[in-house]
Amino acid sequence: MISRLRYTFREMWASLSRNLTLTIAAVITSMVALLMVGGSLLIQRGFDNQLKLWTGGVEMIVYVKHGATEEQIALIQSELLSQATVVESAVHCDEVCAEKYAREVAFPNDPEFIKQLLPQIPSYFQVKPVDKDSSAVLRSLKTQFSQLPNVIEVRTPDDAVDLLGQLKDVIGVRIIVVSVVLLFASALLIWNTIRMAMFARRREIEVMKLVGATNWFIRLPFMLEGLLQGIAGAAGASGVLLLANDNWTSGVKTFPVNSGLRSFVVTDGYPIWVCMGMILLGALVGAIGSATAASRFLDV
Amino acid sequence: MIKLENVTKTYTTEVTALRDANFDIAKGEFVFLVGPSGSGKSTLLRLMNRQERPEKGAVWVAGRNINDMPDSKVPHLRRNIGNIFQDYKLLGNKTVFENVAFALEVIGRPRHVIRQQVPAVLDLVGLGGKQERFPHQLSGGEQQRVSIARAFVNRPLILLADEPTGNLDPATGEGIMRLLDRINKTGTTVVMATHDQRIVNMMRKRVIQFDRGVIVRDQARGVYE
Repeated sequence: MISRLRYTFREMWASLSRNLTLTIAAVITSMVALLMVGGSLLIQRGFDNQLKLWTGGVEMIVYVKHGATEEQIALIQSELLSQATVVESAVHCDEVCAEKYAREVAFPNDPEFIKQLLPQIPSYFQVKPVDKDSSAVLRSLKTQFSQLPNVIEVRTPDDAVDLLGQLKDVIGVRIIVVSVVLLFASALLIWNTIRMAMFARRREIEVMKLVGATNWFIRLPFMLEGLLQGIAGAAGASGVLLLANDNWTSGVKTFPVNSGLRSFVVTDGYPIWVCMGMILLGALVGAIGSATAASRFLDV
Repeated sequence: MIKLENVTKTYTTEVTALRDANFDIAKGEFVFLVGPSGSGKSTLLRLMNRQERPEKGAVWVAGRNINDMPDSKVPHLRRNIGNIFQDYKLLGNKTVFENVAFALEVIGRPRHVIRQQVPAVLDLVGLGGKQERFPHQLSGGEQQRVSIARAFVNRPLILLADEPTGNLDPATGEGIMRLLDRINKTGTTVVMATHDQRIVNMMRKRVIQFDRGVIVRDQARGVYE
């Protein structure tokens, strides 16, 4: 058993080093393909995080006319909460609270604008719909609430949510299509590398068959070679992906608070899972490419 | 040891390499297959180690009909058959020792067996001091001895030799024949395809003669005609 293992690894290494340029090409192609797969997954996750912030924070703002009485405000609140099946909560932020928000969060660096805003600053309700992901629901609520007495305006992130969702779909689908094409290309390249390796060693293979080596014994070093190429590509792609994700995450921290991109990051353990998935996928692509070539071309 | 029953092998509808061949080769026999190029000698050798299959008839080796043998069993059959070729088929990037050891290594023999058997067989073929040389550093006769050592290192029951002296000068060819004769005397059956009239006449072994795929003569202690 040990001698067989030693033989298999020795032959695999010899074959890899003999076909170095093709090996490098196959590894780079796998790496680019897997990088796109992993990158696509992280981008999708970034979109999800961003959407979660937009739909999970202030979903809808119902602005109340400046100077509305407490009764009028209570009436609006009861109207909002009467939609129990679509509205989860409606929290009132009075004029003091609205001023504080404008000063500290919305326009902290623009005291002149705050000065202009202050005499008319409206109080508002933060309304959370039950279905946070549906822009159709948001739109219908917006129309409905705009007609309430003493409501001056209703703002929803529905258009932005739509845009972000569409962007996510468009980018995601395209990246996935290109990734699949590249993965196929890398499997083909690995297939071709193994074919070339087998052709280069056709004399050895002929001798091996004649002296009674089994087909599996002959195939194994070639299959391991392809597997290693796939895994090497995946490992490279994982490294680049983690580095790129780190750089993006630290870069985004320097963006302005209201840039709208601060949540477009993936900071949990998800990238590690993506990398593990990429390594499995790389191994699978390598194994499929090399196994089909090793079986197909054993009669070289 | 080897038995052919009504064996016919065709490559295309026009080319029949072997037609209705019948013969028996006993254990320990030395048999020459003679005839002009394309008469079916090499095809017969390829049928005996299951590199080819006949269209009709049965090829029996060591008591088994190898035409019916599943592909998975073929490697085990070949471990009992040594092959020698006119062009030696040595691996240029391996030393003499490694070339011979390779035949044991790929069938999973442990290292200590390889270390023991390879020098012994190299001594037998007269290459004891040349273990670390590469094929290109050897003469044609020496390369053929390495090829014989590789074929014999696993102590096969049968040796199939396809024109083993075809690339050698007469004196070197005689040396190779003496070596094959010594191996034959250990009980190994030797089947050798050749054009070499001088060698066949010198050895005076059984001769099976082919002409366009048909056996035209099967003679004990025969000569080349």
